[in-house]
Amino acid sequence: MNMKVMLLALCGLFPCLAAGPAVDTGKVLGRPNAPIVLEVYSDFECPACKMFHEEMLPRLIREYVQTGRLAVISHEFPLNIPAHKYSREAANYATAAARLQIYQPVADVLFKNQTSWEQTGKVWETVATVLSPEQQKKVQALMKDPSVAAEVQQDIDAGARERVNSTPSLFITRPQHMALPWPMRYELLQSLLNGLK
Amino acid sequence: MLRIALGAVFAYAAYTKLFQFAGGRLHLLPWQLFAMAIDSYQLLPAWAVEALAKTLPWFELLLGILLIAGRWLVRPAATAVSALLVVFLTLIVRAYLKGQEISCGCFGPGEAISWKTLLRDGSMLAASLFVTAMAWISRRRSPQPMTASLPTNTLPPEPAGPVGD
Repeated sequence: MNMKVMLLALCGLFPCLAAGPAVDTGKVLGRPNAPIVLEVYSDFECPACKMFHEEMLPRLIREYVQTGRLAVISHEFPLNIPAHKYSREAANYATAAARLQIYQPVADVLFKNQTSWEQTGKVWETVATVLSPEQQKKVQALMKDPSVAAEVQQDIDAGARERVNSTPSLFITRPQHMALPWPMRYELLQSLLNGLK
Repeated sequence: MLRIALGAVFAYAAYTKLFQFAGGRLHLLPWQLFAMAIDSYQLLPAWAVEALAKTLPWFELLLGILLIAGRWLVRPAATAVSALLVVFLTLIVRAYLKGQEISCGCFGPGEAISWKTLLRDGSMLAASLFVTAMAWISRRRSPQPMTASLPTNTLPPEPAGPVGD
């Protein structure tokens, strides 16, 4: 009888296990097989990207990612301009953190303190505030791995193929490929997402 | 030729706002995409943005087709194209001078407003004004149709050529 109860309990757990987390901490938010995919090319020193990350993204997560309708994929696109001299470094740190599944906390703290580190250049000091000592060691080690910088360059190259020339640049890539104009009101994005099947 | 080229450009501009060819099929694009481009100029309320986004591309397509065909309503179409281009160029110049980093929305999203946009749309406006002027001038110069207004006692014209021996 105890075995039967345990089996029943396990069966009850399976749906929860199969669903998986609606939000993860890598560069992909939401289920990879979500019906709608939004890809975002972003620069950590870009004020408009900060606005998207802090104002629009949380609403998208609440209303669409957590309900399984939308997956958001983040891509690095540090702009090669004098005013953004630390954005590449920030992109590298964020990409290293993504390998440890802690991309979102690092992205959050970079955008939150954007005006500070872009003046001082203290990118690592900002990133480290959300990492445990063990995570700090791992991120520092990953920063020496050339594949991290190569991954950022791959994102930049992918953006160039999409003719990205400013940030943020947003694309719906499922169910069909569409470049979204920026800036945009959230209500229009909502209307668009609600209409997509 | 200029009329046809202008019509083709307008029809293409409409096509980029309405359709997308992908996977071997033509897809209708959501109106919200063009609405986002209109909205980025921050000039109109939401209801007007939606109304314009749903209707303007189809109107552009109609104007383009009329100009290309050159058979019906050419003068009104050319005049409407010129009027639209005046409005578009005014908005683009305004956005450029304000330093707004927005998409033009002219040929779909992704084209940031720059001096090239101003040059291109300015050239289109110049061409359009020329086409419009020519369309109206040619109307004024076309001969008046013959009407049955001669007095009834008018002699018929002399027959041409020799009458004979």
